[in-house]
Amino acid sequence: MSGKGSTTPSTYSPSPTGYKKKRPDSNWARPDGRTLHQCRPAFLRTGAVNSASGSAYAEFGNTKVIVSVFGPRESKKAMMYSDSGRLNCNVNYTTFATPTRSQAPESKDLSSMLHKALEGAIILKSFPKTTVDVFALVLESGGSDLPVIISCASLALADAGIMLYDMVASVSVSCNGTSLLIDPVSEEESYQDGSLIITCMPSRNEVTQMTVTGEWSTPKIHEAMQLCLDACSKLGKIMRSCLKEAASGLQD
Amino acid sequence: MDVEREGGRGANQLRPMDCTRSVLSRAHGSASCSNGETRVLAAVYGPKAGTKKNENPEKACIEVIWKPKTGQIGKQEKEFEMILKRTLQNICLLTAHPNTTTSIIVQVAHDDGSLLPCAIHAACAALVDAGIPLKYFAVAICCSFSESGHILLDPNKLEEQKMKALVYLAFPSSVRSVLTEGSENGEESAENGIITSLTHGVMPVDSYFQCLEQGRAAVTPLTNILKKKLQSPSPINQSAAA
Amino acid sequence: MGTSTNGKVNDFSSDMEVDAFRRLFPLRFHERHLAESIRPDGRPLGKARDTTLVLGAVASANGSALAKIGCTTMLAAIKMEVMAPTVEAPDEGCIAIEFHMPPICSPLIRPGRPAEIAPVISKQLSDTILRQEIICHYLELSLVSGKAAWMAYLDIYCLDADGALFDAALLSAVAAFSHLQVPVVSLNDDGRIVLISEDNIAAMKEKEPVNKEKRKLKLDSVPFSLTCVLHKNHILADPTSEEESIMETFLTVVLDSSSFQLVSLNKPGGPGLAHTSAIQECVELAKLRVKEVQKIMNEATSDMEQD
Repeated sequence: MSGKGSTTPSTYSPSPTGYKKKRPDSNWARPDGRTLHQCRPAFLRTGAVNSASGSAYAEFGNTKVIVSVFGPRESKKAMMYSDSGRLNCNVNYTTFATPTRSQAPESKDLSSMLHKALEGAIILKSFPKTTVDVFALVLESGGSDLPVIISCASLALADAGIMLYDMVASVSVSCNGTSLLIDPVSEEESYQDGSLIITCMPSRNEVTQMTVTGEWSTPKIHEAMQLCLDACSKLGKIMRSCLKEAASGLQD
Repeated sequence: MDVEREGGRGANQLRPMDCTRSVLSRAHGSASCSNGETRVLAAVYGPKAGTKKNENPEKACIEVIWKPKTGQIGKQEKEFEMILKRTLQNICLLTAHPNTTTSIIVQVAHDDGSLLPCAIHAACAALVDAGIPLKYFAVAICCSFSESGHILLDPNKLEEQKMKALVYLAFPSSVRSVLTEGSENGEESAENGIITSLTHGVMPVDSYFQCLEQGRAAVTPLTNILKKKLQSPSPINQSAAA
Repeated sequence: MGTSTNGKVNDFSSDMEVDAFRRLFPLRFHERHLAESIRPDGRPLGKARDTTLVLGAVASANGSALAKIGCTTMLAAIKMEVMAPTVEAPDEGCIAIEFHMPPICSPLIRPGRPAEIAPVISKQLSDTILRQEIICHYLELSLVSGKAAWMAYLDIYCLDADGALFDAALLSAVAAFSHLQVPVVSLNDDGRIVLISEDNIAAMKEKEPVNKEKRKLKLDSVPFSLTCVLHKNHILADPTSEEESIMETFLTVVLDSSSFQLVSLNKPGGPGLAHTSAIQECVELAKLRVKEVQKIMNEATSDMEQD
C-alpha cells in the first residue's frame, strides 16, 4: 500500500486525436466568440479568505485567481531597519491549473513582476519597519494570468486597508498578425507574435508597469497602448464598484 | 482462541521487551528500547533556551526528529513525528521549563511491527534519563484486528501486513500512590483515558472499543516491566560513580 | 491561575471590552461560553458549521469539488494521466494524493517553508481513501493490460484554514471522486493512449476505444469524518482554528457512510486524555454528521445532474 504512492512512475496526459496545432488565418473568430476589442466578463469579489487581513478572488473567463494579503506585520529578523515598509510578493500555481499537470510558468518571474507592478502604487511610508505580504494562487490558468493576478492583488490590498495612491488595473493585448486581441485566452497567447501588458493607476493616469515582448511596429504599439489604457480605466471602475459593494454590505 | 502465531505466542502475549537508558554518552538523555525484533534508539537534548517560531513561549516546546532506518523522511515519518510530539506534550510538565526547547531524536534501528509503541517507550525512557519532569509514563501498545474478528496484541511486521486493521494506543502508566489522598480521583480517571489513538484500516466500532479494553489490560504489566528496567542503574552512571 | 487572583481578574474582565478579554484570556473566554453550553460563534457544542459543496469548480481537471465548512475552504481536483503499469501488477493503476497548504490560506505559513501539518494530512487522506477499497475498485484504473493504466492525481488545496482541515479536505476529495468523469481514450499506432473528443468520434470509428464511454463513478459507500475538540468534560464538534489552538486536544472519527464502520479514529496526543465515554460520544456525533454530510453530497450531485 505505502509503496503504491511513493514510487511515482512517469506519466503523460492523453492528448486529443486529430487535433492539429495550426495557426488560424487573420480573420478568425475568437474561441469564446468575443470581438477583437472585447474583454472577458470579469467577476471580482473581496473577502475570499477569512484568515487573511485582506483578500480577493478574480475570475476572468477560465482564469481564476485568489490573492491574500497579510500584514503589515513584523519583517523577517534578518532584515535591516527601514523607514519605509516592505512589500513581499509570491505567486503560485495549483498543479491542476494548466492543461498538462504541473507545467506552471516560473513562479519567481511572476512574483517579481507582481512586486514591481504593485510597488509604485503602495504608500510604503505608511507602514515603516513592517512587511506586507501579497500571496497569489492561480487556481486555473486560462490566459492573461499576470494581468489578472495584478488587478486581483490590488483589490486585495485595498480590502486589507493598505494605503494606496490608487488601485492598479492591468490588461494585456496580444498582437496576432495584423490584428490586436485584447485580454487573450491561453490558446490565443500560444499563437501570438507579441504581447503588451500595461498596469496603470486609472485615476492618476500613471503607468506602474509596462511589458512588451515579441515583434511590434510603432503604430501598432501606439494603438495597443491606447486599447490597454482604455480597458484599464474600465476595469478600474469595476474594481471600485466591487469595493463599494463590499463596503455597503458591511454597513447594512 | 485458536489463533496460531509465529513463535507460539498467544493472542494477548507480548513479545519480550527490553529498555536500557544512558546508552549514549554525549546526549543529555538517551535510551534504547526493543520489542521483539523491533528496536528504537532515542536521544534527548535540552532543555535549550528559546522556543521555535509560532510556539507558545509560556510553555516548554518539544521537538521530535524521526530518523528512519534507511532512506529519506517521508510522509509516514512526518506523521509519526507529529504523533510522538503531541504524545510527549501530554506527559511532560510543560510549564516547568517555559520558553525552552527539548529535542528528541528517534532513530529506528529495526522495524518488525509495533514500531510506534516502541518509539514512544524509548522517547519516554530517554526523557526520564535526561531528568525532564513527567506527569506519568506513556505506555503504548499496538492491537491488530484480523479478518475473522480476532484481536492480536503486539503484532510483528508479517502479522501487521495480514491484518485487516491496526490500532495504536497510548495510555498513561498506572500510578501507585505517590500522590496525596485528595488527588486519588484524578488518578483513577487518568488511568481510564487514552493519550493517543491511531488506526489503520476499516473495522466495526465495537471492535475498536474491544481493542481499547484489551490494550488497557496490558497497561499495568507493561508499566511494571518498564519501571523495573528503568530502575536498574545505567552503565555510564555506574562507571562514573566508580 | 491561582484562586486568590481569580476574583481580581473577574472584576477586571467585567470592565474590559469583550474583544480585549478574548485576546488576553482566550481560555477563560471560551470556558465561560462552554459553561453556558454555547460557542463564541453562536453554535451549540455538538453542531458543525454550515457546509457547502460545489462540484466541477475547475474546468481543466477531470473531476473537481470545492468544499466549505464554515470558513475552512478546500479545493480538490483530479487529473487522469496514463502510466505504464509495473511488471508485478500489469492491471493496476494508481492514485496519488497530495494535500497542499499554499501561503494564501493562513498567516502562519510563509512561502518556501511548507506547513508541518500538510504532509501529515496528506498521509491520513491517502490512508483513508486508499484503504476504502470501494473507491479504488470502482475506478478500474486498468486500460491495456501490461501497457497502460490510469494514474489519478488528486490534489487538494487549502484556500482558507479555519480549523477541522482534515474534515474539509476529505469531503472535497470524496466529492471530487464523485464528480470524476474518466475520459474515453483509445490506443493509437505508436502505442500511446489518445483522447477521443466528442466531434471526431465518427473519424475514430475504426479504432476501438479502450474504454467504452465517459464513465462516472457510482459511490455507494464513502468515508466522512468529524473532528471534535475535547476540553474537560465538554466535546466541541467541528472546531474553528481559534478553538483548536486554545483547547489543544482533538479527536477525528472517520466513518463509512453506508455501514458506519470505523475507518479511522485518530487522537494525536495533546494535553488532555480521552475517556471511553467521550470517545463513544464522539462516534455518536460523527454518525449524525455523516448523515448530514451525505445529504449535502447528494444534493450537490443531483444539482449537477440537472444542469
